[in-house]
Amino acid sequence: MPSRILLVEDDQRIRSSMRLSLEDEDYDVEETESGEEALEAHARSLVARPFDLIVVDIMLPGMNGLSCCQELRKVSAVPIIMVTALTDTANVVAGLEAGADDYVTKPFEPKELAARIRALLRRARATDGGPVSLVFGDLEIMPEAGIVRSRGEEVHLTRTEFLLLCELAANSGRVLSREQLLERVWSYDYFGDGRLVDVHVRRLRTKIEADPSDPRHVLTVRGLGYKLVP
Amino acid sequence: MTRAEARGRRRPRRHLGLAARVTTTFALGALILSGALASITYFSVRSSLIGQEESSLAHEAIANAEALKSQIEVAAPNYPYALTSVNSTKGVESILEQAGQWYPSSQTVQESDIPVALRQLVLNGGLAEQLVALSGSPVLIVGLPFRTTTGEVAYFQLFNLNEVGRTLRTLLGALLLAAVVTTIGGAAVGRWAASRSLRPLHQTAKAALAIAGGQLDTRLQTDAYSDLAVLTSAFNKMADRLQERIEREARFTSDVNHELRSPLTTVATALSVLEARRHELPERAGQALELLSAEIRRFRRLVDDLLEISRLDAGLGDMNSEEVSLGPLIAHTVAAARFDVMIDTPPSVAECRVVVDKLRFERIVANLLENAQRYAGGATRVVAELDGKWVRVAVEDRGPGVPDEERERIFDRFSRGSSGRRRGAGDGTGLGLAIVAEHARLLGGRVWVEPNGSRGARFVVELPLHPDSREPAEQAAASSLDEAAGQTTREAAGTP
Repeated sequence: MPSRILLVEDDQRIRSSMRLSLEDEDYDVEETESGEEALEAHARSLVARPFDLIVVDIMLPGMNGLSCCQELRKVSAVPIIMVTALTDTANVVAGLEAGADDYVTKPFEPKELAARIRALLRRARATDGGPVSLVFGDLEIMPEAGIVRSRGEEVHLTRTEFLLLCELAANSGRVLSREQLLERVWSYDYFGDGRLVDVHVRRLRTKIEADPSDPRHVLTVRGLGYKLVP
Repeated sequence: MTRAEARGRRRPRRHLGLAARVTTTFALGALILSGALASITYFSVRSSLIGQEESSLAHEAIANAEALKSQIEVAAPNYPYALTSVNSTKGVESILEQAGQWYPSSQTVQESDIPVALRQLVLNGGLAEQLVALSGSPVLIVGLPFRTTTGEVAYFQLFNLNEVGRTLRTLLGALLLAAVVTTIGGAAVGRWAASRSLRPLHQTAKAALAIAGGQLDTRLQTDAYSDLAVLTSAFNKMADRLQERIEREARFTSDVNHELRSPLTTVATALSVLEARRHELPERAGQALELLSAEIRRFRRLVDDLLEISRLDAGLGDMNSEEVSLGPLIAHTVAAARFDVMIDTPPSVAECRVVVDKLRFERIVANLLENAQRYAGGATRVVAELDGKWVRVAVEDRGPGVPDEERERIFDRFSRGSSGRRRGAGDGTGLGLAIVAEHARLLGGRVWVEPNGSRGARFVVELPLHPDSREPAEQAAASSLDEAAGQTTREAAGTP
């Protein structure tokens, strides 16, 4: 069954061309032109068949893409790719903080967008055959079941945050560089954007650390990368 | 004439800074003033001291002569005894002349100690005195004639003025010390005054540098110095205008950016749909599609390059420096550019760690490789070498090379070299090397082209291994006003 993708883009021409391009890649595409409509469409889809991935333009009239991302994140862990015309750190980080898993910059190569979508969807389906449960002090990770408990309480992670945590857990105690994490979690090459890793680590910390400003589990190793410790 | 020579010739002579000049003037003024005061003091004290001494000693000499007179009016006078008995004060000697015979009070004085002129004066019948130096110490000789029953006698008394000399020397030392202290004090006051009066200038320079460094909202306080209000308000007005203009330009750039990106996104996406269906198209339509897609790709690259360079100009885009190993960085960069080039990185260089913005580095190398591909039939080798705190990455080709006179111009915008002027030769944008130069500059390095042996060109990018984390403008602001002014001149000279 083809994956369902929700396309949120106010420019009708871009939307139509993206739809054509994505349908050529065998995706089932639904379009909306505003953030509000996107939330409605997402709510409706939960009844029938939820979307597998959402592509959101950041610059939308009315509710902008960032708020749309935040609202979606409140109810869903669905992978989100944001489309932005601006590549400076402030904008990229704002988008990632709002909950996006990845981003592409306009004008993007359609192949690039397709590759990003494939990477996120592949990850979303992948379930590693690994240990049933990993325990790091007050942190418990169940990779198969997709459940994470911190201090006994279940925490809700997005797919990307979860995979990032699993990747760190599978190599616990060892330092993973940003490049390694980009490659393993996002399927990026060497030139992936390190800010993706940084923002996701930050988001992960706010969910699993008792004090996110003084992390005990996900540690930064200056100049090298990140590691997970019990 | 190369640019370096021209620069060397144009370099202005270094003058003393304003602060140094004010300080020197103050110090000189203090020196002259205190010197004059000291000499006046010294000489007046000296003359009054000696004058006092002279009159009191003359009285003493007269009294002694009276006493002596009675002692030597005997039949056989014992001169030395008489001389010492009238004055036994230590350090005071006397000598007496009678009828051509000299009678000293002790062996330490003799006839030759008395200057001829003084002797003459006394013999002519008057009281006379003279200050002379006898074996290194000042001696006042008071001479007076008197008449005894045995005849004319000239009596000379020699007073050692060592005490007075010591007092004067002490005074001189104290005065010299005072003069030195005053001079130093003058210099200090001058320095303080200079720094105080230069403070608004410093602040203006700092503000100008801050603006040059991108803090466009920097303004001077207008109420701090009322007499400089014209300067500060003019400066602020200039800064307002500048900010307005730069912000308008930045807005324009970002608007253009956005307006161009949207249609390009549609075009690129729609084109990809068409390209995927190339085989379904009739032959002629297919050929047209190929032309269209090639041209759109070039147009896209042109827009990308223009946007990139306008962002570089506007100072937008941030530096994401991180520490990476040189070997993998170069390998990944060349691989990402999809050119099959030999990479020559010695192991010692490959293991070296460098702090760099990977994406900017990738843009530099990719643009150089594309340039070689377009105008020289492809790069033949990518070499990396270390030189102290610098790493040099060279992209070599075996193409026609770059003539001497074009080696600098080739990095200007839209200035393709003579080989690039053959339009059909490439689909370049004419911005690639300008972008390379801008990125290299922002990374704290530079780029140049040199001949690659006998044939071809060698584009060399030189980057710092560990760039100073401070911004160039901040560095300049941290240095003194003089240097800061020099910096500004240099930067102005560097602007095309």
